[in-house]
Amino acid sequence: MVVEIRELIKRFDGKLALDCFNLEVGEGEVVGLLGPNGAGKTTSIRALVGLLPVDDGTISVFGRRQDGRDKDIKRRIGYVTQELTIYEDMSARDNLSFFGSLYGLAGRRLEARIEEVAGLIGLNGRLGDRVKTFSGGMKRRLNIGCSLLHEPELIIMDEPTVGIDPQSRNFILEFVKSLASGGASVIYTSHYIDEVEAVASRIYIMDQGHTIASGTLPELIARIQGDSHILVDVRIAAEKVRQELLAVPELKDVVIEENRYHIVVPGGVSAFEKIIPILSPQGIVNINSKQPDLEDVFLTLTGKQLRDGA
Amino acid sequence: MFKFHLLRGLRDWAGHLILIAVPVLLIAFFNYVFSGAQFRYGQGANPIAFLSALTIGFALTFQIYGASVSFEVIGDDFLSPKKDRLLASPAEPRAIVSSTIVVGFIVSFLQTLAVLLFASLALKAELGSIAVALPIFALSAAFNQLLGTAVLILSGSVKLANGILTFYGAVAPMAMGLYFPLPQNGFFSFVREYLGPMALANTAILGAMEGNSFKLAVGVGSLALLSLGLFLALPSLIRRLAR
Repeated sequence: MVVEIRELIKRFDGKLALDCFNLEVGEGEVVGLLGPNGAGKTTSIRALVGLLPVDDGTISVFGRRQDGRDKDIKRRIGYVTQELTIYEDMSARDNLSFFGSLYGLAGRRLEARIEEVAGLIGLNGRLGDRVKTFSGGMKRRLNIGCSLLHEPELIIMDEPTVGIDPQSRNFILEFVKSLASGGASVIYTSHYIDEVEAVASRIYIMDQGHTIASGTLPELIARIQGDSHILVDVRIAAEKVRQELLAVPELKDVVIEENRYHIVVPGGVSAFEKIIPILSPQGIVNINSKQPDLEDVFLTLTGKQLRDGA
Repeated sequence: MFKFHLLRGLRDWAGHLILIAVPVLLIAFFNYVFSGAQFRYGQGANPIAFLSALTIGFALTFQIYGASVSFEVIGDDFLSPKKDRLLASPAEPRAIVSSTIVVGFIVSFLQTLAVLLFASLALKAELGSIAVALPIFALSAAFNQLLGTAVLILSGSVKLANGILTFYGAVAPMAMGLYFPLPQNGFFSFVREYLGPMALANTAILGAMEGNSFKLAVGVGSLALLSLGLFLALPSLIRRLAR
């Protein structure tokens, strides 16, 4: 195992931020850490990198205890921070050179790695330009590139696509996949379900400081496979009607998504004859049923939509 | 790392120009107002040309503001999200901070040289054996970089550190009587010559220029001790910064 976190507990002013959090990452694996803002993703990542002392539990990285002082562990990790932590007044080359030098790279090897990484992140034509002239997406790519110069075996990316355009986002997602195919282990945190679905070979769902579920996407979906989902579009969805639906014993859950009722029904149960009379006065526009996906897994396990907490 | 910090330290052209142009303008202004006046630092002290006193005084004063060259960079590194990225690397925070302070010292000393050169060449200030005093200007620049770093770490805010040092930079020359004459008595002589690092540096420089070995020894010795104290406190301050 590259990473093993066991029963991690972290409190801030007595409030639990991590509550018996567990995580395992194998070699060459992309693990997605999914949860709403405030779920504890960044706290767990900071503890894993050794930046945050924990109250209880163990963190093992490359088979060694992570206490934040082991330089060998630090040399083998690439940490992509959630916020942009690059120097905007300096050129892309200066930034890459500086972060490479922090990891002991120098001379020809550093120069070669700068060229190589600039190619990987698509900035080879802009190396001499000041970062403040870059678009948001280019800055994000440079933010990632600065963590890759020393060829880390474990890359930790804390919400690396925040605030960027779809094109740059796709570039980054494809790039993460290519990192894993190159043999690196990746931990990718996000509160965007589609991103985690796209890159992760295994997913941890976090909420309120602990892991609710983990597994591959098919494994997670299998956990809720018994449920079916009915999507009813109406003119105007109302909370009062949702409460009426929730009072129907056959229905497992009802969530309002703009002008849509998302109704979760246990497998094998027919509920249309009870749903329709309640929703008809609302003016039904469309009715659909859908196969469960990661969003449904999250909804079922946490009782809320991811964007509610985000 | 040092090359990066040097490039970063030199990049703020506007800041460097301000730290050179403002003292130069102040020297020229006060020299115009007090044209040809003599300046006496203490009772029985040798009078020197007011222009020389102004040049030395303002060069030292703006070394205090020059402390921002390093502490603003340290603040940007360690009092912002960049801190996580730096601490996640195997590089020692002490190495990063030290490299920044060294660059701050070099830049601040170059600014001082520019001010002295201007006063000497353009205003014809009589700085006598100023070359002998240059190491004291260097010591003072180093002290101020260390002081700025300590104030930043203890205050935990770039804005607050800037405020504290700006206040100190405004009060210190007044205590030396640069802006208006102070009474000629024993108390004010002591204040002018020994109260505070800037007064000590000034006393040492005058001592070096006049060949007064007592003033030189007391000024340099005290300033060196203060610098050493800050230097020795630096590791624990950096540990605090990296927490």
